[in-house]
Amino acid sequence: MRRRADAPAALPSFRGLVLRVRGAMGERLGERRFPGRPQPAGIELEAYSAYAPGDDLRHLDWNAVGRLDALLVRRFTAEREVLVHLLLDCSASMGVPVRDGKLAAARQLAMALAQVALAGNDAVRVALLGGGTVPRETPVYRFGWRQGQPATGVARLAAFLAAAEARGAVALGAALEDHARRHPRPGAALVISDFMTDPAEVEGGVLALRARGYGVVLLHVIGAGELEPGREFRHGVLRDVESGATRPIALTRAALERYEALLAGHLAALEALARRTETTYARMTTASTVGEFVTGELARVGVVRRR
Amino acid sequence: MSAGVLNPTGALGLVAVAVLVALYLYDRRRRVIPVGTLFLWKQVAASPLDRRRFRPDALFLLQLLLLLALVGGYLRPYVQRADARPPGGRLVLVLDVSASMQAREAGETRFDVARRRARALLDALAPGDEAMLVTAADRAHVVLGWTADPDRVRQRLDALAPLDTPTRLGAALELALGEARARPGTRVAVFTDLPREASGVPADALAAVDYAQIGRTDDNLAIAGLVVDQPPFAALADVTVTVLVRNYGHAARSAVLEASIDGEPWMRRPLALGPRASEPVLLTGPRRAGVVAVRLVVDDALAVDNRAFAWIAPAEPLDLLVVTDSREVGAAFEQIAHTVAGSRLEVVNRARYEEEPLGGRRVAVFDGFAPPAAMNALYAAPPAGSGICPGDGLADEAAVVDWEVDHPAVRGLEGLQALRLARVRRLATPAWGAPVVLAAARGGDWPLLVLGDESGRRVACLGAELGPALGSSDGLPLLLLTLGTLRWLAEQVGQRVLVVETGTPSAAGSFRAAPVPGLRVAGDPPVVVAERTGRHRLGDALVLANLFDDRESDIGRDGDRVWPATVRPSAPLSAGGRHEVDWWLYLAAAALLALEWIVWLRKEPA
Repeated sequence: MRRRADAPAALPSFRGLVLRVRGAMGERLGERRFPGRPQPAGIELEAYSAYAPGDDLRHLDWNAVGRLDALLVRRFTAEREVLVHLLLDCSASMGVPVRDGKLAAARQLAMALAQVALAGNDAVRVALLGGGTVPRETPVYRFGWRQGQPATGVARLAAFLAAAEARGAVALGAALEDHARRHPRPGAALVISDFMTDPAEVEGGVLALRARGYGVVLLHVIGAGELEPGREFRHGVLRDVESGATRPIALTRAALERYEALLAGHLAALEALARRTETTYARMTTASTVGEFVTGELARVGVVRRR
Repeated sequence: MSAGVLNPTGALGLVAVAVLVALYLYDRRRRVIPVGTLFLWKQVAASPLDRRRFRPDALFLLQLLLLLALVGGYLRPYVQRADARPPGGRLVLVLDVSASMQAREAGETRFDVARRRARALLDALAPGDEAMLVTAADRAHVVLGWTADPDRVRQRLDALAPLDTPTRLGAALELALGEARARPGTRVAVFTDLPREASGVPADALAAVDYAQIGRTDDNLAIAGLVVDQPPFAALADVTVTVLVRNYGHAARSAVLEASIDGEPWMRRPLALGPRASEPVLLTGPRRAGVVAVRLVVDDALAVDNRAFAWIAPAEPLDLLVVTDSREVGAAFEQIAHTVAGSRLEVVNRARYEEEPLGGRRVAVFDGFAPPAAMNALYAAPPAGSGICPGDGLADEAAVVDWEVDHPAVRGLEGLQALRLARVRRLATPAWGAPVVLAAARGGDWPLLVLGDESGRRVACLGAELGPALGSSDGLPLLLLTLGTLRWLAEQVGQRVLVVETGTPSAAGSFRAAPVPGLRVAGDPPVVVAERTGRHRLGDALVLANLFDDRESDIGRDGDRVWPATVRPSAPLSAGGRHEVDWWLYLAAAALLALEWIVWLRKEPA
């Protein structure tokens, strides 16, 4: 399946969907409620606590004082925005197999998730990992109005993503660690990659994000040609597009079975990594559409839900 | 049913199959597949490719079939029906019947020799063999198509006689070779006096021809040209005739030149010409108009070029009515009339003519208007909307681009392209006439001079304004064109003479008559081709035909020579129940190419 350059208009409508990522509470006030994280001010009463010097006297429950003769202060459910970090792997491996269009699928997925996030009044930042240069990232975009016109965040994100190219080598774990270091305030990190690397190398980056309070979702984009290499070749010299290393392979039945077993092991290792790090893992093949993936697989694993 | 191939050397194309396999093997070693990572593949056993067995894929098989189809087509395979008749002996006889074949030496003509040899070939044919008879003169002519009746061929061969025309042997040879290619095993035999290298056919094609050259003598004197110089409206005393006599032999000869007009002797002059020499003879002072017959009295090998004919038109004085409002035009015509002895000229203005239309003149010139008239008339610069001379507006800065060189009104006029016209009317071609001179300017071309017969009179429409330049040296081309047109208008109707060269098509004009012996008339518009020199009567027209052709008159050859054929023409595409199937293979190759393309598109990554 070949994908053309993604445009916002080409994506299906995701109206009514919101992102739900565990442990991604931001610091800025917002609409997203975080039960169990009481705060002194708010709308929805969640709990009471004993008055301590410094508490706002306006939140003293005077009925409780009268009936219980105790100073109790109201606590409210935290309402914060979620800063969604869309981390898109742009290493050269995203460009092969060419006809699978992994990078195009990844761009479409990032655009779809950005739309869902902005529509849910979350803030969005997109960062490109790799692509031949230092990590590039957008400012934080929020849904809103400016000077009577809709904000242009969606269009700018689309233009930014459209310029993304698969180029160069990326150490994914190190790139994630670097991102966590540069953005220490917690948020939701949605990592879109082909994860064609050793899971142990990725784990360090995921743990660094988790350590800073990020809710992490690993979105695995895998090409149909990687699942079924017989579609791509029967014999030839395989060349790693990132390292340049080569290996002659004849795709005999035994070799194919061996590869399929190794691939299944790799995918299982990624799932185990997600479980260990309390992150979410979802896999999208390029044979499916982004719409199917978002409303199907991501809803199933709980990354998106209806309002 | 049998099968075979016509081009066995095409099997060399199978080398391409080996090339294809080699390319695949090379590609297998060379082919690099980019992958995202090798960390999985590193755990799969590597496989040295050059040690592996060659396993063709669907694309390779399609390409192999495509190659085999192409090579198969190149082999030119055929199938042949079992009941197809095997080709028998076939003979195409090509005989040169041009004028030079009339050359007489050793008591017989060259054509007699050719006919005798052709008859010998016919006698050698086996029963059932077929023959075809083709003659070559100014054109190729199939005298008798394929026939297995030798008596019929002999009969037609005996009835043949050489013509008085030039030779175009190439056309007849191509025709015969075409027949030979269509029927394998056909023998082509040519009998001519032309050297092989002058046949007009490439040497490799002549290799399939039995070529017999006949003749040796070069003893020939000929009238190589005859020109009558008769200025318009000039008196008979001013007419001159120039005769060019040429000795084509390598020995000096003497002869007597006799000239007569309508049978009345005019002049007799002895001539002595050196080897290969020419001599022009000027004849002056004809006593009457009519057909000039010039004859060389000499005993040489070829008689047909010893006579020639020309025409001296009756001398008619200028008898002209000029209707013009231009004082300069009137003065110019008066100046012209003054220089032509015996002229009658009357110049009137338009009002005077409209008040009382004048007649009694042979020709009228209407300058700038186009009234109906009973006499022959030249309409100069006719106004727009004229019924006689239709046109569609004016043009500036026009020039003459073409003219009918054979038309009597402009015959002998050279350099008409020098005629530049500042302002000219764009004439259309009316139903009664034909364009004789064409002019062009920015925006296209159109007739400048239209001539024809309209309601029993001769009419000329001239798009140019006559103007005062007519009497000056700048207007010389226009003056010559005007005088030529007036001469044509002044000719006596019914006195039509056509002087032609044999074998050369000439416009027959309005001649409508059944063909006569020695003349061919064909086409639309009709052209006349003379096959015999001399005087011919075609309806009410007189046709004078001459042979002025150096190739025919220069009859010297190297003696009788024969070049036997070294090859036979290759087999035809389909003959004798044989059907080639190469195009089916080419079609299959095209289909395989399309299929291979589709498979490649599905297989190859973008």
